[in-house]
Order: sequence, then C-alpha cells, then structure tokens
Amino acid sequence: MYRLSKLRFGFPIILFLMLLLDGSISQNFSAHMFHYPTAMVSHLVVLWLVCGVLFEADANDFEMPIGRWAIVAGIVFDLYYTGIFGIYIFIFPLLVYLTRLLVSYIRPNFLSGLLIYFIDITVLEALGYLAGRAIHLSSMSGTDFMVNTLGPTLAFNLAMFVVLFFPIRWVYNWLK
Amino acid sequence: MQKFSFNRRLVIIIVCLIVSFALMTVSVAIRNKKSTPPLIQQFGNDIVGLTDRVVAVPANGLSGSVGAVSELLNTYQENQQLKQQVSELAQTKVRDQTLAKENKQLKQEIKLNDSLTDYTAISSAVITRTPSSWQNQVIINKGSSAGVVKNMPVMSGSGLVGRVAEVNKTNSKVELITDNNDSANRFAVQITTKSGKTVNGVLSGYNNTTGQITMNNITTKAKISKGDKVVTSGLGGVTPKGLYVGKVAKASGDDYGLSTKLNINPATDLSDLNIVTVAVTKQ
Repeated sequence: MYRLSKLRFGFPIILFLMLLLDGSISQNFSAHMFHYPTAMVSHLVVLWLVCGVLFEADANDFEMPIGRWAIVAGIVFDLYYTGIFGIYIFIFPLLVYLTRLLVSYIRPNFLSGLLIYFIDITVLEALGYLAGRAIHLSSMSGTDFMVNTLGPTLAFNLAMFVVLFFPIRWVYNWLK
Repeated sequence: MQKFSFNRRLVIIIVCLIVSFALMTVSVAIRNKKSTPPLIQQFGNDIVGLTDRVVAVPANGLSGSVGAVSELLNTYQENQQLKQQVSELAQTKVRDQTLAKENKQLKQEIKLNDSLTDYTAISSAVITRTPSSWQNQVIINKGSSAGVVKNMPVMSGSGLVGRVAEVNKTNSKVELITDNNDSANRFAVQITTKSGKTVNGVLSGYNNTTGQITMNNITTKAKISKGDKVVTSGLGGVTPKGLYVGKVAKASGDDYGLSTKLNINPATDLSDLNIVTVAVTKQ
C-alpha cells in the first residue's frame, strides 16, 4: 500500500535530493563534464523517476503518483536551474508516461531498464534541445548536438544507471 | 472508442505544446525586460536555494578536500615558480598603490567623484550549476539583499566570467560568457594596442571548439597583435571600465571581409568556478 509506506515521504525527498545533486555534480565536475566542446549533463532526477516506474511495475498492486512528482520536479528545475519556465515541467511527466508505456510492453529488468533509460534520455535531450532552439537559448546545429551533447550525455547517464540501479533498488525496497 | 481516445490524446498533446510555448515565451520576455523575476518565482527560488545549500555545501566541501590532496602533489614545484612571481608582484603592487593614491588625489582636485573605473566588489560562492549543455549558468549565493542587480558583470580570479541574469533575494543566476544565447555575452570591450591606440569593440560569441571568445565589428585599421590585452571599456550599462577579459590570440578578417574579427583567450578557466566577484558600479 503506497499510502502507508515510507515511500510516501521517501520518494519526494530523494527526488529533490537527486535534483539538487544534479546541480552539485555539474558544478564540482564542471571541468570534466563541460570540457568544451563536449558536454555531459547529469540527469539523476530522471534516473530516480524512471527507476520508480520500473520498480512500481515490479510490485503489482503499487501505484505511485510519480507523474505528479515529475511535474513538481519539472517546475523546480525550470525555475531554479534554467530560469525559463515551461520546458521540463512538460518533459519530465512525458518521460514518466513514456516509461510506463514501454514497461507495459517489455517486462522490466536490469537490461530492458537500461534500454528504456536510453530512450528516455534521448527523448529528454532532444526535446530540451528543440525547446532551446525555439527560444534561442542555443544556436547549436543538429549534428553538433548529437555529437557533442547527446552522445556524451547518454554515455554518462547510462553509466550512472549501471552503477546506481542496484543501490536504488535496495533503497526502494527498504522504503517500501 | 479507440478513435475517441486517440483524438483526446492528440488534443492533450497539442494543448500541452501550446501552453509550453506560451510559458516559455512569457518567461523569456520577463527575463529580457524586467530587472527581477516575479515575486512568486523569487520566493520559490530562494527556498530551493536555501535547501540546496544543505546539499551543495557538503558536496563542494568534499570536492574541495579531494582537490586539495591532488594539488598537494605539485605544490613544491608551484611554490618555486610562484616565489619568483611574488617578488615581481610586490614591486608592481607598491607602484599600483602609489598610482591609485595619486589618482584619488587628482580626482579630488578636479572634483570628479566616480569615474567609469570605480566599482566595489561583492564576493560570493557558487552554489550550483545548471545541468544543461547550452545554458552555461551558475547560481551564486548573493542576491538583491546583498546589492546585486541584474546585468552586473561577474569576475573570477583575474578576469571577467559573465553577467548576472536573474536576481532573487538570496541567490542569483550568472550567465557565463561561454553561453552562446542571444543576450549572454555582449560586453563592450577595448584594446590598447602596442602603438598606444585604443580599439573599441563588442564581444560577440564564444567558439566551442577552440574555447576562445570572439570579438567582432572592429573597423579600425590599427594593427592589433597577438597578446594585446582586452579589457571592458565601461561604455553602455553597468559594466565598469578596466575589467580584464583576456588576451588576443588571433586577428583575422570576419566572414565577409569587411571588418576585423579577434579571437580572445579568456583570462580565467571558465569551466571551474568556485568563488566569483560581482562588480558593483555606483550610479
């Protein structure tokens, strides 16, 4: 039962921790992550959301309001990090929706989770890029985006998925 | 039934897209025109900023101590080199003090209170950085309550790194000059050439592949050579005169061959900022 579990408070707390950690990681490793021209962007918050959906599907009768928390995370991301309202507030819940859709086709485990996360990060970065182009935040060309941002970001985030999947599952089962 | 649900989904997607674009446009407009964001946004940002310090302070402290250990390894060599520089610096500093004093006296003499070069500095720590590949933006822990105003220039170490883009009560966002959006890095700068001529220009962008700032629209025929120092000219807006930007790396004709385009090596390492200084001009 979601209503009675520790996840009710644990999920949002760790969600915000992940959100703030994204910024701290970007700041502390900025010399390596934003080593021009390539940029690796950390998306731990998406990792937590996606893992939430994956583990939710594992346990049968366990519905969590992940979509709603994704919207809240998107609002904070937009206001606090970018200052441009209206981008991630839509992308984060979309990713949750997309993950739920994919999970209904593929049974989630470590490997299929990795694939789903690959798709999520690609969609996230692509939509973020399109929005950035639309409001003239970036003037990067499409090929530059794929080589310099999408590639390294995917590599970094998939590595984070591999490293953090089992710890997150442990945390999740502990909270449940 | 199937058709109905498909249509409904399409409508939801379109509505979301429209709302998203409307929100983006509004927030970009607010960002460009207003000096501070709406009160509710400021309030939210302040709260998140305060919470973020709980995460950021230990994280930054940890990375600081790790960095300290790795720096310890080449301390000896660095010490030797720095000792030499210090002895030269002492001489320059004494002369600098004398000149500043003389300058102050002369200004009093002609009753000139504040010229373009005067500014006071607010130093602040970087809390966090925007996790985004095109918004090169850091969040610093001083805001309007400390006297930070939008568009003030921000320095780190020896040179200019960016400008204040958004001010909240207790934190503000700084757009670095590596950010290539439409309004990020237009600083009015000038170069004093070896022959003593002053060349004015505007910073116009950042080259990702070489890591150099470009300066465009220079129509003068004065010969600019490699290694000339670029400083802010203090013209237009709240930037004081004489903030060091970098050194000229290469002078070439621009894309159309009409004016000169300069590549400038920035003075500070822009990807590694911990403490920054906001330059406040008296107006």
